Amino acid sequence: MGSKSDFPRVAVTGVGILCGLGIGREEVWANAAAGASGARTITRFDAGEHNVKIACEVPDFDPDRFVDTRSARRADPVSILGVAAGRLALEDADLDAGALTPERSGAVVASGTGGNMIRERQYKVMRERGPDRISPFAVPHSIANTPSALVSITFGLRGPVFSTTNACAASTDAVGTGGEIIRRGDADLVLAGGADSMVTPFWIAAFDAMRVLSHHNEDPAGAARPFDRSRDGFLIGEAGAVIVLERMDRALERGARIICELAGYGNSADAYHITDPDPTGEPQSWAMEAAIKDAAVAAEEVDYVNAHGGASQPGDPAEVLAIQRALGTEAAAAVAVSATKSMHGHCMGAAGAVEAALTAMAIEHQVLPPTLNLTDLDPDCEGVDHVVDTGRPSDVRVALSASYGLGGHNAVICMTRPAEAA
Amino acid sequence: MPHDSIPEVVVTGIGMISSLGVGRHESWLSAREGRSGAAPVTAFDTSDYGSKIACEAKGFDPLDFLDRKNVRRSDRACHLAVGAARLALDDAELTINGNSREVGAVIASGGGGHGIYEHHLDTLAERGPDRVSPLAVASSIINMPAGMVSMELGLQGPLSCPVTACASSTHALGEGAHMIRRGAASAILAGGSEASIAPFIMAALDATRALSRRNDEPGAASRPFDADRDGFVLGEGAAVLVLESREHAERRGAPIICTLAGYGASGDAHHLTEPAPDGSSQAAALRICLERAGRGIDEVGYVNAHGTSTPTGDPVEVGMLRSVFGDRAPDLPVSSTKSMHGHCMGAGGALEAGLVAMTIGSGVIPPTINLESTDPECTGVDHVTAARDASVDLALSNSFGFGGHNAVIALATAA
Repeated sequence: MGSKSDFPRVAVTGVGILCGLGIGREEVWANAAAGASGARTITRFDAGEHNVKIACEVPDFDPDRFVDTRSARRADPVSILGVAAGRLALEDADLDAGALTPERSGAVVASGTGGNMIRERQYKVMRERGPDRISPFAVPHSIANTPSALVSITFGLRGPVFSTTNACAASTDAVGTGGEIIRRGDADLVLAGGADSMVTPFWIAAFDAMRVLSHHNEDPAGAARPFDRSRDGFLIGEAGAVIVLERMDRALERGARIICELAGYGNSADAYHITDPDPTGEPQSWAMEAAIKDAAVAAEEVDYVNAHGGASQPGDPAEVLAIQRALGTEAAAAVAVSATKSMHGHCMGAAGAVEAALTAMAIEHQVLPPTLNLTDLDPDCEGVDHVVDTGRPSDVRVALSASYGLGGHNAVICMTRPAEAA
Repeated sequence: MPHDSIPEVVVTGIGMISSLGVGRHESWLSAREGRSGAAPVTAFDTSDYGSKIACEAKGFDPLDFLDRKNVRRSDRACHLAVGAARLALDDAELTINGNSREVGAVIASGGGGHGIYEHHLDTLAERGPDRVSPLAVASSIINMPAGMVSMELGLQGPLSCPVTACASSTHALGEGAHMIRRGAASAILAGGSEASIAPFIMAALDATRALSRRNDEPGAASRPFDADRDGFVLGEGAAVLVLESREHAERRGAPIICTLAGYGASGDAHHLTEPAPDGSSQAAALRICLERAGRGIDEVGYVNAHGTSTPTGDPVEVGMLRSVFGDRAPDLPVSSTKSMHGHCMGAGGALEAGLVAMTIGSGVIPPTINLESTDPECTGVDHVTAARDASVDLALSNSFGFGGHNAVIALATAA
């Protein structure tokens, strides 16, 4: 992207997050650093007939704490999670929505498919009572752009507003694209992230049919085991995660706390298979290389990779190969890697944003969050320094967060410690 | 103003599939003739629906573009996307061979595999969770049209699916152009696909009262800016434009149709279904688009309006054009081609951009049909109601989506 000095730098000044590990960044970080699991038995619906009965739901989520308008209360939980994360992020950045310049503030908030609960319920209405009984709110509250629209409406953001709906990579692309919007001068501030809840009867059944979900119903906390020989899939997680991206000079001017810099973004496509990743990891490595190059750092400077780590049999080894290709085998052997999905589950369209938030906090706290349940490393996943069980204090200057989505979407962002940003 | 080192983005290929035809020439002939693509819905039984008409892409055969296995395991939204992408790539005479990392796909969709998703929901309801297909997720998700284009054509550059309801594919074109500008790709296949003529999504749109119920006169139902309009006619289709850096296009001797000169995006921050009545954020998107193009309002020779034919949307858009163009507004040629191809949702913006590119190339502005008695609230611009010869150097295409997503792109003659 041209010479770096030509473009504004992008600061991360706030983190808002709700996921299986808690609500708010302090609670989530404390749990992530301690190696806690957010997995539980499903409560959102009766999963009695489903093979999979576990997920990572947001605990004790009270929408009234976050949304006050009548229209927002009618919204799907997916949208409410997005608005809630946006509110927490602005608070964390010490920003009052009313004091923002609306035209220079945007929202890139992704979701996998939008309001799943409302869509499934309204489909049931159509089947049982006829097409003329569907609610007029079915469309606005189920389409995939609504989380971004409601964030814009709630906080009065009138810059660019959209969703990058790229399956499991969606909100890594949202964060990367949000950064690009600032770099190219179309906004000074972007609320970037994702919101999703696929803990619904249809999606649990459909992902289970793909054989990508763990069946360890009797041991929820031990179910998600990325890179472990006995892994059998992921748990679906709910989450809303939004980070505040600001033009670095503006953030410094207002005396904002700089959590880290969003320094680079890379994106590529597998063009390989409708459901499986390219086993060579090569296209994934291009996205990683592009993010590293965009950040103007060297491959050997990368200290930490927050891996996609979907705990699938073909996916995890391909990802380790991609890290080796991108960094070189020597640097790869020294790079710390963890898959935090082992704790918060696979938050689908919100996954990348949850992981970006944890990566930002890892840089802030100089502690790497771990991969849980990695007790018997799959030989095909060897070659990197896996962080296991509990948080590891570490000197973290340059970190990557990688996400890979169904359809062959590869997205990687690079975050750096603010000292490097100066 | 663009930085010297930032590449100029040109359009070198157009692929279009809609009720107006398959391929850019057939589509353009229909648009010039002012032909309506609307007819009674044939895809399913609409007897319990308020709106029973739509613009179906009847001339499209997925097997012309995909093998039988891939047709079976994917939704019509994917078929249409791959079809339009293949047509665009052929039109641009671009071959993918050793350059796959340089070419990306930004293909939007409002809802992805509507029809197949509904089929899988039926399976869940009728046969239980353990009978749902292993392909249920992959075939129904919104990004799969983009994914299938990438897979079928072998594109390994940036891949994305921006979603903003009815503005999705205008955002796709604008964001795709930025990927070229920032050096992430030499070429991007950008556009959108929508196969929205499916029982649930049509019923749900009908429930919002956005659809026309002029069932006895399908061809006259979509009537943007007309006093008797009563909503939009649902359309299906896909459109993909090949965007390239000028340098890349010139190096390979490609036919340059026009340039993608500017893109502006904004949010209303107002309401989930209604546009902000003052149109100020729509105006902001238009102004930003022109500013990025480095062009003035006096240079605009044609506006392809969003113009859906809804009672509330049309006056806001025309009011916005009057306020932005001021004294020039009465002479500003405006048309809404949705009057012919219907509202193709996530594919609408790209289809309209395709027609705007043809306008620039051919010197003919396509009309708004059925505009017989202009709503007094929609006057004040030069409504083009029959194909008109006009040399257009710079044109805009507006798209505004549910939720207040505004996107405007500028296309211009390649100097």
